[in-house]
Amino acid sequence: MSHLSLLLDLQPAAWHDPTQSLQFSTFLAHILVFLNAHLAQKHENSLAIFGAFPGKSIMLYSSIDQTKPADRRVQPDPNWYQPFKTLDAALTERIREEMPQPSTSSEAEELPVALVGALAKALCCKIIQATKVEAPSDTPVVMPESRILIVSVSPDAAASYIPLMNSIFSAQKLKVVIDVCKIYGPDTTFLQQAAYLTGGSYIRVEKHESLLQYLMMCFLQPPSVRSLLAVPTTDRVDFRAACFCHKDIIDAGYVCSVCLSSGSDCF
Amino acid sequence: MWRSAFAEPSMPKDPETAGQQDAPHTLIPFLQSQSQTALTRLYTRPSSCLAIFRLLGPIERQIVMSLLWLEGPIASQTLNGWVTKEGRKPYGTALDTLSKIQILPNPGTRMLLNPNFKASFRMALTGGGDLNSFGVPYVSSKEKDAERDGAGDKKFGPNSEHLDSYALERWETILHYMVSSGTDSTPQRPSAGVLYLLQRSGLMQPLPSPSGYSTASSRKTSQLQISSLGFQFLLHTPHEQLWELLLQYLKMVEERQMDLVEVLNFLFMLSTMDLGREYSPDNLTQTQLVMLEDLRDYGLIWQRKSSSKRFSPTRLATTLTSSTPLLPSSGGGNTGPQGFIILETNYRLYAYTDNPLQIAVLNLFVHLKSRYPNLVVGSITRDSVRKALNNGIRADQIISYLVTHAHPQMRRNNPLLPVTVQDQIRLWELEKNRLKSADGYLYTNFAAQADYQVVLDYAKQIGVVLWENSVKRCFFASAEGHSNIRGFIERRSKDEQM
Repeated sequence: MSHLSLLLDLQPAAWHDPTQSLQFSTFLAHILVFLNAHLAQKHENSLAIFGAFPGKSIMLYSSIDQTKPADRRVQPDPNWYQPFKTLDAALTERIREEMPQPSTSSEAEELPVALVGALAKALCCKIIQATKVEAPSDTPVVMPESRILIVSVSPDAAASYIPLMNSIFSAQKLKVVIDVCKIYGPDTTFLQQAAYLTGGSYIRVEKHESLLQYLMMCFLQPPSVRSLLAVPTTDRVDFRAACFCHKDIIDAGYVCSVCLSSGSDCF
Repeated sequence: MWRSAFAEPSMPKDPETAGQQDAPHTLIPFLQSQSQTALTRLYTRPSSCLAIFRLLGPIERQIVMSLLWLEGPIASQTLNGWVTKEGRKPYGTALDTLSKIQILPNPGTRMLLNPNFKASFRMALTGGGDLNSFGVPYVSSKEKDAERDGAGDKKFGPNSEHLDSYALERWETILHYMVSSGTDSTPQRPSAGVLYLLQRSGLMQPLPSPSGYSTASSRKTSQLQISSLGFQFLLHTPHEQLWELLLQYLKMVEERQMDLVEVLNFLFMLSTMDLGREYSPDNLTQTQLVMLEDLRDYGLIWQRKSSSKRFSPTRLATTLTSSTPLLPSSGGGNTGPQGFIILETNYRLYAYTDNPLQIAVLNLFVHLKSRYPNLVVGSITRDSVRKALNNGIRADQIISYLVTHAHPQMRRNNPLLPVTVQDQIRLWELEKNRLKSADGYLYTNFAAQADYQVVLDYAKQIGVVLWENSVKRCFFASAEGHSNIRGFIERRSKDEQM
């Protein structure tokens, strides 16, 4: 069985831009089919979806957390597999509730999306899951293969360099693979590093209309299958670090010999 | 019996084995033997596509997913490029499987999914259509609704605990009947349909001479006795058992003039239903209504009354396509969800259970000595194991049963079972298999060592040599190679004469 945490970068500015070729509704439809495909793979597959909004991150859906009776509210449909319907209904509703309108407040828009917050939450969920499984002790229980897929549309937020790096290290420890699917915006150095360091893949979607095909071919298979059916990986990774005090990405700088923090001329 | 059948990890530890991790599901070979038209009809239902997809191996699933959203065919080289060096072999087998069940015909040249499968599976993922292939939920009339709202949590029909206990009771009745046949105890008999199925599948056979048993002669119904296949069946995991029976059911379908595609569709529909929800049988075909009754006997379906206008699938049905049928603990309920067997190096075995079925299964290969309210004590002896071996059970099956049902405390040991006991059980099996018989021919009286060597090499080449002795210049080859070898010798002697 395998567990997928999906991190959606829901930057309103990027998604409400009418000049983009990929509309948010189309994007959401592709993502939902992809998620259904993940659930279709195996009966036991689980799913958690996190949304990164400007300044906050929210868990939008979790198939593990069945405490909420919400899924019972959904009327069964004889033409659709019930878990798919539950997921789709819940996710679209939650996103509609949470998605801020682009013009509501200008200051909220200036905040960078809390991608790292969402990433940390996803990792926490993984840890909680692991401890829950271990609770009945002795019996050797199979830990689900876990991976995180980040769908990113916004550029690097240099300010979050340190927390992101820390998240990457804990992902490495937890053996969680981080995949990155970049849809809009410039390549982000830090997410490239995240994918590289955890053994995931960083893929830039060039043709937006075939987003679903990208998702299906590159991000659907659990890590154990990837050793047999290869997934493209990036060969050029930007390893530059950020200056600890100015939060700028630097080509060359100084490293403190005591705390190993890196910095530009400010040292 | 049910509890931790799958507690043992079956996940691949290293990616090497990921491709081969699970042998193809038992249903896949059956599907392969079906005609193309039957399969095509089967693939028109989204629920069937989803269920079959889940039964496939991981690589097959990925291939299907990669191709699902492509409109046109792609060259097979394109997808070949994705396969790593280690993945070649599993990838080849996966393509082979897919083409045999007609999901991906002709993978050699261009890759295009079966159009029916593609359309239905897309529909399964995106919803839509009007085939009602995921089951029509039962909607009660308004007044009932109001009454149920008052009742609160009963709103969704029988709760899952009730369904679980029902399914378990049904299933254990079948197994218990099997295991205690041929003994003097008379457990509850399953329904006639189940008995017929057990007999047809060869898991049970009629007693050779019914008069030999006093109980049998007094009863009118034919007395059945468990066969060696049946003994092996008992030690399988519940999931395998269920599929074995269902497969047999499918094989009987044609004799009963039922439509196989409808039967399969119904099974797959059940597997995609929601546990604890009630469904309406209105949309079912005549065949499927007959099945409803059969499956109720197996414990896959629950109905309040046999004439009831609604039915609910039990966990046995809804987990058909998953690999973890976790029916919660059975019977007495005071044994944990984990294993219950402790095996010591001195061959003594303690089983913390009061479940008659589990005790009966243990009795197949353990010499039971004493019994307490929650504990059975016995020991594994040469005689008890030989009895099991004579019944057709293999040593590996005994060991894997012990491993699967080992008590949590045993799991601290590494290896889990005492090595001495494991080895001894295997040795007892070898003891039984010291002699092996094979039909064949003995070739002897070769004039020269060279002649002998040439003929022997030829026989080895075609792979028929069973035994050889170069000092005595003779070898023994299986019967099917005889004509070849004779021809070879004749040709050689002719050549030499010329």
